[in-house]
Amino acid sequence: MLCAKNISKKFVSRGNVVPVLKEVSMDIAEGEFVSIVGRSGSGKTTLLNVLSTLVQADGGKLYYQDENLSTFSESHLNRLRQSDFSVIFQFHHLLPYLTVLENTLLPFMRSLSPVGKDALRKARQCLDRVGLADKADRLPGNLSGGEQQRVAIARALVKSSKVLFADEPTGSLDRATGEQIMGLLSELHEEGLTVVMVTHEPAYARLAERVVEIEDGLMMKEST
Amino acid sequence: MNILTIPLRNMRRRPSKTMLLLLVFSLGVMSIVALYQVSLVVGHSLEKKLTAFGANMIISPATEKLSVSYGGFHMGDMLVDVENLPEEETVLAIRSIELKDRISAIAPKLVTMTKVNDIAVALVGVHWRDERGIKSYWAPRGEFPSASDQVLVGSQAAAKLGLAVEDRVSIIGQDFTVSGILHETGGDDDTVIFLNLHTLQALVGRSNATSFIEVAALCNGCPIEDIVAQIRGQLPNAEVKALQNVVNQRMASVRFVQKLAFSISLVILVTATSMVGLSMLSAVNERKKDIGILRSLGYGKPQIFIIFCIEAGFIGVLSGLAGYLGGFGASFKALEFLSLSDGVSPVFSVAHLLLACAAFGLITVVAAVYPAWKGAGVDPSTALVAL
Repeated sequence: MLCAKNISKKFVSRGNVVPVLKEVSMDIAEGEFVSIVGRSGSGKTTLLNVLSTLVQADGGKLYYQDENLSTFSESHLNRLRQSDFSVIFQFHHLLPYLTVLENTLLPFMRSLSPVGKDALRKARQCLDRVGLADKADRLPGNLSGGEQQRVAIARALVKSSKVLFADEPTGSLDRATGEQIMGLLSELHEEGLTVVMVTHEPAYARLAERVVEIEDGLMMKEST
Repeated sequence: MNILTIPLRNMRRRPSKTMLLLLVFSLGVMSIVALYQVSLVVGHSLEKKLTAFGANMIISPATEKLSVSYGGFHMGDMLVDVENLPEEETVLAIRSIELKDRISAIAPKLVTMTKVNDIAVALVGVHWRDERGIKSYWAPRGEFPSASDQVLVGSQAAAKLGLAVEDRVSIIGQDFTVSGILHETGGDDDTVIFLNLHTLQALVGRSNATSFIEVAALCNGCPIEDIVAQIRGQLPNAEVKALQNVVNQRMASVRFVQKLAFSISLVILVTATSMVGLSMLSAVNERKKDIGILRSLGYGKPQIFIIFCIEAGFIGVLSGLAGYLGGFGASFKALEFLSLSDGVSPVFSVAHLLLACAAFGLITVVAAVYPAWKGAGVDPSTALVAL
């Protein structure tokens, strides 16, 4: 479904060129749950951003459903992120001035056309699914970290994404809340969603079908 | 819920910042609207006041000049068939033109020559109220005539005829009292005797006759040529002339006031617009994480650009509304404080209000173009650093 071939990425820091990814290759099958682990600065988040098309690689090729994403225009990549890909982050997942429901509906608020009734109904269903139906009109500031993360997941569900990219989804949460979120991700994976997750928690990483370890921008090993 | 929800909710999130920006821009708009209204009223009032310093149009009977020589004797230029203008019909015709509202004074005159105390002198019949309306600089020793048997004498004519205030003088067989003698004006008024127009018409047996009519027109907002053309249309047999020098001098005064107001408005506008631009620029920097989230959801550059522009546009439209209403009210206070209105008041216009909202909305959008473009250009990876 998603195939990275010889992906490399460099960043310039204080005039120095720092290679972050060094010819990383990996395949992700449809419906698979993959964890990417590694120490801080190993390049795992950069790899996730490259796979989710938020960051463009300097070298290598990225294929999605046999199409070379490296040749896609920006608007084409935007369309992909509108429909097939969803990303959830460790912090600041939501726009603080929009309600929970509005944040969930953000993917449908790109034009002057009002959000349709179907989208609205689906958003409420997704919030119900993540246990936040009663908090639809609240602002994110009034929610706990776990609840905010669940809104981000509901937002990914509302647009029926095919791949969910999660960057340290439990990184800012306490143990119990983190387990709730992981439970939710596992449920979604069991229903057929492809999940690519970056984590530094070995326990959570083991919930995935496959664990990919990154060190110094190189893929060190894979375990299932 | 649509794309407008995002900038609207963001404005609501930071009410103090939004209100401050709104206040600054509204004050700018208010100053501009107040200045515009005051300059309009002051310009109109100034022009009205300037009409008291003389007419800017003269209407006289159409004449034909003939250079006469016979037997080697040159008799000079002679006017052929000089006719008088009928007073009542001519004044009515002037009052009936389309731009009649621009006519501020009509002063008909009958001029004739006679001998007083065996000295040749010109007599000018006038309507006192109309004449004084265009000659506010007249200042007599004694008083202006208030009865039909009273005359006002020019300073040089009085000296030549040996007349003083309260003297009796016989003109074309009728006795008159000198009610006042004009202080020197430096013009033609110094050498003539003024008396009531109807009295002079009766004395010379030319009822309803006038030699020429002076007209004072307000030229702000319409060119004098239009007024002249319309009067010519009503009076095809008369000669209608605009005194361009007078018109130009007056318009220069009025335009100076308007240009001054425009220049100050421009400075205020540039300052307020720069503040909006700067505020949007800082908003872009503050909201990089918002941009990152939106980009991760597939929002493209055009949508990010539109969100920032809409936010600025809202501020512009609201400032236009508040500023126009505030400026309109402030213009009354300013005119009252400066005692400049002279009976003329600013006129509220819904069309101007809508125009102000649209114009200031557009100006703020233009001010936000660069910050919005910068925001739209933020690379998702750069925005993600903020996350």
